[in-house]
Amino acid sequence: MSTKIPIGPFHIGLEEPIYFKIDLKGETVVNVDMINGFVHRGIEYLVMQKNFFQNLILTERVCALCSNNHPFTYVMAVEKIAGIEVSRRANYLRVVADEVKRVASHMFNLSMLAHLIGFHSLMTQTMEAREIMQDVKESIWGNRMDMSANTLSGVKYDLDEGQIEFILNKLDELEKQTDELIDIYFNNKLVKARTVNVGVLPKEDALRLGVTGPTARGSGVNNDVRVKAPYAAYDELKPTVMLEENGDVYSRMKVRWREVKESIRLIRKALNNLPEGPVVTQKRPHIPAGEAVTRTEAPRGELIYYLKTNGTQRPQRMRWRVPTYMNWEALRVMIPGNKLSDVAVIFNSIDPCISCTER
Amino acid sequence: MSGFLKIAIRNLLKGPTTDPYPFGDTFIPQKLRGKLKVDASECTACRTCEEVCPSGAIKITKNEGAYVHTTWYNTCCFCGNCEFFCPTGAIKLTTDFHTAHFQDEKYSFVTVAVIKETECKNCKTKFVPPSEALLKRAYNGIDIDLDELKLYCPECRKKIAFERLHLWLRH
Ligand code: SF4
Ligand code: SF4
Repeated sequence: MSTKIPIGPFHIGLEEPIYFKIDLKGETVVNVDMINGFVHRGIEYLVMQKNFFQNLILTERVCALCSNNHPFTYVMAVEKIAGIEVSRRANYLRVVADEVKRVASHMFNLSMLAHLIGFHSLMTQTMEAREIMQDVKESIWGNRMDMSANTLSGVKYDLDEGQIEFILNKLDELEKQTDELIDIYFNNKLVKARTVNVGVLPKEDALRLGVTGPTARGSGVNNDVRVKAPYAAYDELKPTVMLEENGDVYSRMKVRWREVKESIRLIRKALNNLPEGPVVTQKRPHIPAGEAVTRTEAPRGELIYYLKTNGTQRPQRMRWRVPTYMNWEALRVMIPGNKLSDVAVIFNSIDPCISCTER
Repeated sequence: MSGFLKIAIRNLLKGPTTDPYPFGDTFIPQKLRGKLKVDASECTACRTCEEVCPSGAIKITKNEGAYVHTTWYNTCCFCGNCEFFCPTGAIKLTTDFHTAHFQDEKYSFVTVAVIKETECKNCKTKFVPPSEALLKRAYNGIDIDLDELKLYCPECRKKIAFERLHLWLRH
């Protein structure tokens, strides 16, 4: 006998508004159907009503956790059309901002994992450690989430000696705490019981579905845009790609933690080798007619922007493909065969961002 | 669990990590993006901020003898675009994050700066003179000539500058 259970669209166990229709046999999920469309805000239309400078901020509001990657990919598209060169210093600073965001975003997802498996003290501790990064963002860029770091032809901020030292000190503080947390996340019995062999995405399925980001890397698929198609300063900084083979929630969690460590290394390397130069070259450049596609590695995976301009002050068309759009379908592979109580844990393990996807 | 026990005991000894705000101090970084401060003497009513503001929070209206620069906090998202693009540096985001207010004050909870026009020394038409910050950016130094020239409206300024050039060429 099978039971039908609805979860969502607004449910305490879910971080995002999604409606799951679940067919159960006993306690095991046999089939899952997913319905979305609850947080559509019409941003794609809105960006065509705003000029290129306003869109620096509007794109940032698409998603709070990837809020640096959206304007980052957007400015790269505009720069491609206008043929604007970005200074090396600005490129390094773009990487610093982006990696700081990646650390904060990954740690948020990881603490959500602890929350969903009922390990609340671990969740608060992860959030507490993440707070170090929040303080860095607030102290350097002035806001805890929306840093407003990127602008056409460069970045809006510069770092002096004192600020560099401040970030480096904070990184030391953070790294100590992450090491401690990683030990718990990787070895704790409770965490392992709820994540190992849960929500498995085999490598073949990962390739077939074209999943991106840590979801793909947890299944052994290396598609890190920072390495496959380097942008900004990534060709000089050379990030290491973190791969795991098992494709379960545990592997994806491990990928994220190891990427946090890698991001800390990248920020240090960028700060210690910061080239001299201007941070911005043309404050208000002319944007000719043209088309461009750019992509970056957001914390959730590959983010693609398409931009079409017609020589006016506003985009003629702008469209983006977000990582969750690709990772989403993988849930149909991951969820069936697991317990009902694991649905939210598995959903969280793709680090879903529905507000990006539906925008 | 032993791994976490260590952290738990340490936390117990450390006491609360949250700030006792509003009863005590809280961490306010110097670069925090809060409410705006607009310096009317620097502003030239060029409307750049109005153009780049993503949320339409800034409106510059023309009144009798003055331009009024209004920032409405019910739509401002504290992004700092206005500060970054303002050519004269007239806008600064302060660390003042206190934006709670009553519904009654919804439309009056704003920052206002009044940019007064002056009369042209020659033809008496009203105009907004270039601010010192703008002149400093545009020219290497402000000399007596510039100080004198900025008293004229753009039309008269053109004429005077041309006449002076003409005189100088004849000598
Ligand atoms: S505040 Fe700055 S950008 Fe805005 S009108 Fe004045 S001078 Fe122009
Ligand atoms: S901070 Fe941003 S939203 Fe607020 S007035 Fe300035 S540009 Fe507009």
